[in-house]
Parts: sequence; C-alpha cells; structure tokens
Amino acid sequence: MNSSTMQLDRPKGLKLSDLLVTILLSLVIGVVYHFWGSVNDLFKPLFFQADELMYGMWFLASTLAALLIRKPGVALLAEVAAAHVEILFGSEWGLQLAIYGVAQGLAAELIFALFRYRKFSMGVAALAGMASGLGSFLVDVYYGYVTDYTTWMIVFKYVMRLISSAVLAGYLAYALTKALEATGVTQLLRPVTAKDYEALDHD
Amino acid sequence: MNRFLTPSRLTWLHRANPSLKLAVLIILFIVTVQTRSIDFAVYQAAVYIAVLFLFSGYPAWKVSLLVLSFSLVFVSSSLTMILFGKGDHVWWQWGLFRVSEESFYRGLHLGFRAIAFAAEGLLFVMTTPSVKLFYSLMQNFRLPPKFAYSFMASIRLLSIVWEEFLIRRQALRIRGVRTGRGLSGLLEHVRLYAVPLLSQSIRRAHRVAVAMEAKQFSGSGRRTYYYPSAFSRYDGLAVLMFVIALAAAYYAAAAVPWFGIEDVRYHGQG
Repeated sequence: MNSSTMQLDRPKGLKLSDLLVTILLSLVIGVVYHFWGSVNDLFKPLFFQADELMYGMWFLASTLAALLIRKPGVALLAEVAAAHVEILFGSEWGLQLAIYGVAQGLAAELIFALFRYRKFSMGVAALAGMASGLGSFLVDVYYGYVTDYTTWMIVFKYVMRLISSAVLAGYLAYALTKALEATGVTQLLRPVTAKDYEALDHD
Repeated sequence: MNRFLTPSRLTWLHRANPSLKLAVLIILFIVTVQTRSIDFAVYQAAVYIAVLFLFSGYPAWKVSLLVLSFSLVFVSSSLTMILFGKGDHVWWQWGLFRVSEESFYRGLHLGFRAIAFAAEGLLFVMTTPSVKLFYSLMQNFRLPPKFAYSFMASIRLLSIVWEEFLIRRQALRIRGVRTGRGLSGLLEHVRLYAVPLLSQSIRRAHRVAVAMEAKQFSGSGRRTYYYPSAFSRYDGLAVLMFVIALAAAYYAAAAVPWFGIEDVRYHGQG
C-alpha cells in the first residue's frame, strides 16, 4: 500500500486524546497565568502598562498546542479552554475572557490554516501569536473604545503587546515544544505523516 | 473547585437550566457591550449586583467581598481611559497625562460597564457548577460528548498537576537546587518546572484518553447520562427575572439620570 492511501485511512478530525491533551495543557497554562495575573495586579500601579509585556502568555496556550498536536482546530480549542480557567475560578473577567478567547483562538487558527497545517516553525508560531494579539485588539476596539485613547497611547500599548506575543507565543512556545520533543511525549500526539510510512517502506 | 465558591443554599436560580442561563447571560452581555449611555451602564451594574445579593445563594458577607473586589475592576478598566483618552475640554494636564471632560466620563462609563460584566459573569459562575454546564450542553445543545468529557476530565486532572508541582518543588529543594535572580532565574524556573510538568501532563492525559476511548466516551451514538438535564419552570422564572432586571435598569436610567450623557464615544476633531 502506498503512503497516500494510508493517510486517507486515518480518521479525520480530533480524537479524544487530542482534545484531552489540548485542554489539559491549556488549563495548566491558564492556571499559571491566573496566579501570575494576581501578582501582576499588585504591581500594576508601579509599572505602568507593564501587563502588556506579559500579554503574550495568553496566546501561548494556542500556539503551544498547535505546535505539539499539529491538527486543525487545536489552536482555537486551546484558547477557549485557557479562558475557561477564569470561569472555573469565578474571576470577575470570566465571561469577557471567553469572548476574547474565541477571537484570539480564531486568529491563531487562521495563521496555521494559511500554512495549511504543514509548517510549524518558530516564525509561524510568532505570526500566529501576533495574529492573536491583533484579534484581541479588535475586541478591545469594540469593547473598550481603545481607538479613543490618544494616539501615542494606542501605539505604545499595542506595540508592546505585539512584541510580547511574538516572543512568548512564538519563541517560548517553540522552545517548549523542542524541549518536549526531546522527552519523546510528542510521538504520542502527532498524526502519522507520509514520511513515517516511507521510513517503513525502505526497511 | 474552590470551597469559597460553594453556595450556602441552593436558590431557584441554581435549578435553572445551565445552557439556557448561559444563553440569557450572553444576550445580557451583548446588551451591556452595546450600551453607550453612562446612566444605563450604572443602573445595569447596580441591578445585577442586587440580583447577586438576592438570588446567588451565598451569604451576604461573601457577596460583599466579591463586590468590593469590583472596585479594582473599576479602577483598572477606567484609569487608562481617564488619563489618556481623547477629548477637547481639557481639565488637567501634566506631562503625558491629559484628563478631559470626555475622557473622564468615557472612563467612568467603561468602569461601570466592567462592573456590570463582572456581575453578569459572577451570576453565572456562582449559580452553575462546571459539570452541570457540560452535561446540559451535551443534552440540550448537542455538544459532542468527546468535548464535554475532555473538559470535565481535564478539570479533575488539574489537581494532580498541582500535586506534581508541589512534589517537584520539594524534590528540587531537597537537592539544594538554587535559581538565580532576575530574568535568567525566571528562565531557569521555566526549564525546571514547565518541561517536566507539561510532559507528564501530556502523558497522563493521553493515557486517560485511551482509557476513555475504550469506554466509548468519544462515541457518537445514543447515550445515557448520569445527570439528566431538562428544562423546567425555573427556566421561565430565570428568563422573566433577567428581563425585569434589564427593564428596571433601562427605565431607571431614563427616569433618574445621574450624568445625562447619551453617547460617551469620541466624535470631535483631534
């Protein structure tokens, strides 16, 4: 049997194990962010807008899950699951974050879809993170009238957010993925590729 | 999940269907997002806080604590807009700070709206256990069971991840591992904790998922549910109560306006 028909045999879509891994990872990241956020709130008055530099943490869940599992839909699901943590903890921001989660997840998903779920490099992850940042900006415009800030403030705030998205959701997610690959767990997750079948053929 | 968030008594609002409650609250949420009048925002916040006190089933002191925390929400939502918003009638300027009449009221509006959102969110969270929500979404809104059960299993697995974190910390301490300060220390923390905890979570989640697949938790056929979820008269009551609450806020804003500003968005030049 050649490799292309083998690929068609594979059930399409996300399996339960993909879902469970994605959701658990996102919840863990969501919890880290939740506690980080509470610490951050205390320092907020001291370091003006410093929270923007950590904003990319929000997008880490979706790029990390996408880099690990490499299937359509994972980025969106991860972002929604990470937002769900705030609902679990009864945070004041719960419902709002669910809306942000959907917008950010869709934006990241869009980037991975543009590369047809074939390319999972640091650059693509950084792009996906920045797209999420842009998604959050769109919700901000609708919800928080941020275009009514003075111009320098808009630029300052969102340039910081984009940088943080690229670094955390791009570089950090990629580094974590490489480290996790070294442990061997990713073999459990990734769909079998044509290359794997070719390796069998040459034996 | 959290003992603080366990109600002391169950009100009729707890008995209303979770997905229906979610749908109603999302509609209310959209109404609040669309609110441009500052008075309507103030009264929405007030009305939903009143509902929290009356029907959430929590003792008044707990609700008061949560409502007090709204002040932080108010400050963090309004301050940036007040200090850096656009506006033509400048009241006070110092360096980069520039408070104008428009930005001030727009900031207040954002603050009150954020309180309204927070109260709406808490109304849902405080009256709906997560498990019931997922069971209801599966039965009443046809959410595929594999999503619902993955969420519920992950929530249970979280406490194991927390336990592993504590074990890891103790293990590192007993071996005398020290991390540096500042940014490099932070990165070292990430390396020491993130990789073992994440890889172990992935392994465990995968193992649990295989077991769940074997037991047909991912199945798409007909299935029975341990917690049946249906609609009842409490749903009608909940919808009615929220409609009355919203109408009360609307008419109160029309009858007793505090600020009288219909649209807080910036329309001027500059």
